[in-house]
Amino acid sequence: MPLYGTLDITRSPAGLPTLANLDTEAWALPKAETMQLLIEVPRVATDRLLPKAMHPALPSYVGLAVTKYSDSPVGPFNLAMLRLGSRAGAHPRGFLLGAVASTEAAAKELRARWGFPVESGEVKFLRRHDRVMGTVKKDGRTILDCALVDPQPVSGTDVQYINWVTAANAPLDGKTQPMLIQVDPKYTFHKAERGKPLVGAFDAAAWNAPDLKLAEPIVGTCCTVDTDLPRIRFVMDPLKPVFQGTRRIRESRADD
Amino acid sequence: MKFGLFYEISIPRPWTPEKERTVYNNCLEQVKLADELGFEHVWAVEHHFLEEYSHCSAPELFLTACAVLTKRIRVGHGIVVCVPEFNHPIKIAERTATLDLLSGGRLEVGTGRSATWTELGGFGANPDTTKKSWDEFVRCLPKMWMQETFSYQGEFWSMPERTILPKPYQKPHPPMWVAVTSPGTEIDAADRGLGSLGLSFAGFGEQEKKIAEYRRRIKSCEPVGAFVNEQVATTNFLFCHEDEKTGIEMGQKLGNTFNYLATQLISTREVYSSPSYQSLGLLPALRRAATGPDASEQQTEGMAYGDPARIVRAVKKWESLGVDCINFILNANEVVPQDQVMASLKLFAKEVMPHFAKKPADAAAAE
Repeated sequence: MPLYGTLDITRSPAGLPTLANLDTEAWALPKAETMQLLIEVPRVATDRLLPKAMHPALPSYVGLAVTKYSDSPVGPFNLAMLRLGSRAGAHPRGFLLGAVASTEAAAKELRARWGFPVESGEVKFLRRHDRVMGTVKKDGRTILDCALVDPQPVSGTDVQYINWVTAANAPLDGKTQPMLIQVDPKYTFHKAERGKPLVGAFDAAAWNAPDLKLAEPIVGTCCTVDTDLPRIRFVMDPLKPVFQGTRRIRESRADD
Repeated sequence: MKFGLFYEISIPRPWTPEKERTVYNNCLEQVKLADELGFEHVWAVEHHFLEEYSHCSAPELFLTACAVLTKRIRVGHGIVVCVPEFNHPIKIAERTATLDLLSGGRLEVGTGRSATWTELGGFGANPDTTKKSWDEFVRCLPKMWMQETFSYQGEFWSMPERTILPKPYQKPHPPMWVAVTSPGTEIDAADRGLGSLGLSFAGFGEQEKKIAEYRRRIKSCEPVGAFVNEQVATTNFLFCHEDEKTGIEMGQKLGNTFNYLATQLISTREVYSSPSYQSLGLLPALRRAATGPDASEQQTEGMAYGDPARIVRAVKKWESLGVDCINFILNANEVVPQDQVMASLKLFAKEVMPHFAKKPADAAAAE
């Protein structure tokens, strides 16, 4: 059967975000501009970054995403994320390795509500006539400098965003414990472009992926979307195969 | 109704030379038996880099072995990838003609364009252009087989005038097919006069619509070859057992294993945004929908596993929808022991095939 990741998140629960409950309300995030660059990476570094419950994507790839949220319950903010392509059972997922938010408030809420491994820093989303650029600085040091070069219009129906998985401590069955949390935003596309990914600077350690080296670029997209961060519907045991260890928390992803 | 075998050649980890050889030998043993039992076709995919799911990267070699070991069964590329980074069209014409000669005119040529990023990215192919290159290839192949000399100037490949050798044994040329997974490809097949080689396990309703559209369109087609190959084949799992419950359980194990491996593939759409690969057209998605945890009772009902009576009912339903041929997957990751695969084939031939044997009147008409 397929390979599994080798990361045991239960060994260092103190390093994980902790949720007070699994009952966060949904956030509406209209007119977000999001750039996503997909890049293949060598397999040797990825299996140890992926929880034991999940299968690696073959070939291994990561998604670098820089998003400008112009409207949110905590005000406008920018967010950069590194996600590792993987499978939760039969389903494609991006396991969230690291993130930086441009405001303290956004970082705090994303960490506490959905378990994002996020810190605050400087995140810029810039558009030029021939490219869309994302830069991220932490403590004055550039940890990401990337771009979508030569964006060309495509249809929103051509773009597929896969759901995310975070690792966090959260209360379940009367006990706060490490678990995997599915985060499954919805998207309504207003505009979509496709182009070539270009990464000028990438500090893998700053994204909690110390040995990760970017290899073959796949493709980049930049889209304007109405999106959200929904209520948590599914959590997964981090050590059991997902098809055995998934729990449904609620039926609806929207606020009741 | 005709019956065939369909090979992905799925090999479980850990891989050893002996294990890979054993699985290949198991497949050849099955094909030899199938030939003796009266199966009409053996198809082999062309896949690359698809760990465990398919180790069938050189199907023409496997099919050559099949041809040498058998007398009657037809051997089919299911499919050869018509993308220049994978296969040069001259080499396709040469290899297929050679296989047709070695098999004594028993070749079927399936064509397609690959559905996974794992493969397209591995060969550095551009997903945006695979449908166009496929179209060029299928229009060139019959001419390369039939004309004494051939030259071509195209968008994806060109060649000066040469004599492409050898020529196929079958005249004017072997029957041509296209793999149909994406919605709309059945129309591409019909418009070009190609057989529809269905590789998904979609339910009756979807298949019925596709077949009806194919039959309607092919009536007014402009064939790319010298003749119209109006045939609809579909794929299914086979496990036939005297006991219905045992047959269903093993069949579901086979189907679930195959499906789970299929869902691990990185479909092109997952990572490469392209109008050429729309979501519903992807093989893994269709397979997940058809046989995964969300499978409906109706879809389960269409599967060829259980006891002979249950399988007869399923096959009759497919026949009523207009399917001409069902190609069976017999194993995935070797979850069905070889002796049980062989017993299943024998029981199917004894108890199910007679229900679909050509009637004397049909045979006379065919002559």
